Amino acid sequence: MFSTILSQYKATLSVFVVLLVIVVLEFLQVRAAIYPSLLPAFEWLKNSTPLGYIGTTYGSIYATVQAMHLLTMGTLGGLVLATDLRLLGVMFRTTPSEVISNGTHKAFKLTLIAAVLTGIFCAAGVADKVYYMPVFWVKMLALAAGAAFVFLIKQPLLSSKPHSEINPWIIRGMAITSILVWFTVAASGRWIGFS
Amino acid sequence: MSDSKKIGDKELAAISVSVIIFGGLTFHWVAEMISTVELLELAYGTVKLFNNPLVF
Amino acid sequence: MINELLLQFGQWMEAQQYSQMLVAGYYSYSWLEATHVLTLMVSIGSLFIIDFRMLGWILPNVGASTIADRLHKPMMIGFAVMFITGFLLVYAKPVETIQSLWFRIKMILLVLAFINAWVFNAKMKAADGSWDNDSVAPRGLRTGAILSLVLWCGVVTMGRYIPYDWVDCDKTQNPTILWASGCVDQLKVL
Repeated sequence: MFSTILSQYKATLSVFVVLLVIVVLEFLQVRAAIYPSLLPAFEWLKNSTPLGYIGTTYGSIYATVQAMHLLTMGTLGGLVLATDLRLLGVMFRTTPSEVISNGTHKAFKLTLIAAVLTGIFCAAGVADKVYYMPVFWVKMLALAAGAAFVFLIKQPLLSSKPHSEINPWIIRGMAITSILVWFTVAASGRWIGFS
Repeated sequence: MSDSKKIGDKELAAISVSVIIFGGLTFHWVAEMISTVELLELAYGTVKLFNNPLVF
Repeated sequence: MINELLLQFGQWMEAQQYSQMLVAGYYSYSWLEATHVLTLMVSIGSLFIIDFRMLGWILPNVGASTIADRLHKPMMIGFAVMFITGFLLVYAKPVETIQSLWFRIKMILLVLAFINAWVFNAKMKAADGSWDNDSVAPRGLRTGAILSLVLWCGVVTMGRYIPYDWVDCDKTQNPTILWASGCVDQLKVL
């Protein structure tokens, strides 16, 4: 019976194992122990890499890449809103939600990659500053959570069966969570700019 | 509930993760709002959004 | 003469109580800026989806007019918020913004983008949905979509440059840049 549960609920059990690992690591203060050892990596990124050099020397290039980062965030936001508002039944009601969620997923992947690459450049230019900013780490956590949520949970579920066969409250819950996660990534990013 | 909308493995994982992430983010934003209000109260003596601290 | 008029207008705005309050308030300017930037996700996001659809990059099996119709309202709401917050940002720091070369270029690109959008809409209505279910729009509309993408990328980039002081009035002595930026006082000295 136990092996049946294990085989039938792999995804759910994986979620709880990951959650347990996170709780244990937090309890053992592993994050606090690792944090100081990340500083050399951030300083290396700023002082010893071409990214850091270009970012700190050529302000115009840095500003242009920042603008590209903004544009990718804008596109990502549009894709997320179009998909998730359809899942909530607010927009595109005459179009099947499978078409919208599957049709935007590739663009979402490409835009996310572009956002991460431009983000790395932006962070490299001010790496020694962002290391000490709590809001930067909030953004990174939200980004990791958002990406894991979309690629490991939301999209696999949405592409596994017709949406009419999925409990509508689960679909709505995922849509609201997705909107909140990506809003957090964007808003934290803006607040890095103010800090 | 009909069989076709039963809560399977992926659905259960989706609910769990959604609740965890949504809960965590809500906690974060509520904490942000509280610290913002506290900071504004410290700056102005009361909550004022657009007050000019240079004008007495 | 336009530069003098704009500078006088900016100085008049700067003297207003609410303009000073917006700048001096603890969070007010930051919140305005954050709202302006974050609303990009709604306005530009919706617009880019429409443009990407015209180019056949996204949702090719959804009718183009369906996408344009459904995203029109959120896009316009987004742009309305952008305009209000944008105006308030100028109102908060009027002289600095009016004398920013990047702001001026941004406004020109904005006007061009809206003209392009108007022409694009007219062409869409004229085409009357004959190509609606094609994965790619006709050439004229594709050109409009590419132009839209380029112009709006320009608007956002110029907006990002505004806070930087590379060619501010007190940082450059190039007469062309000073004239283009409306640096009236510095031009007089030259």
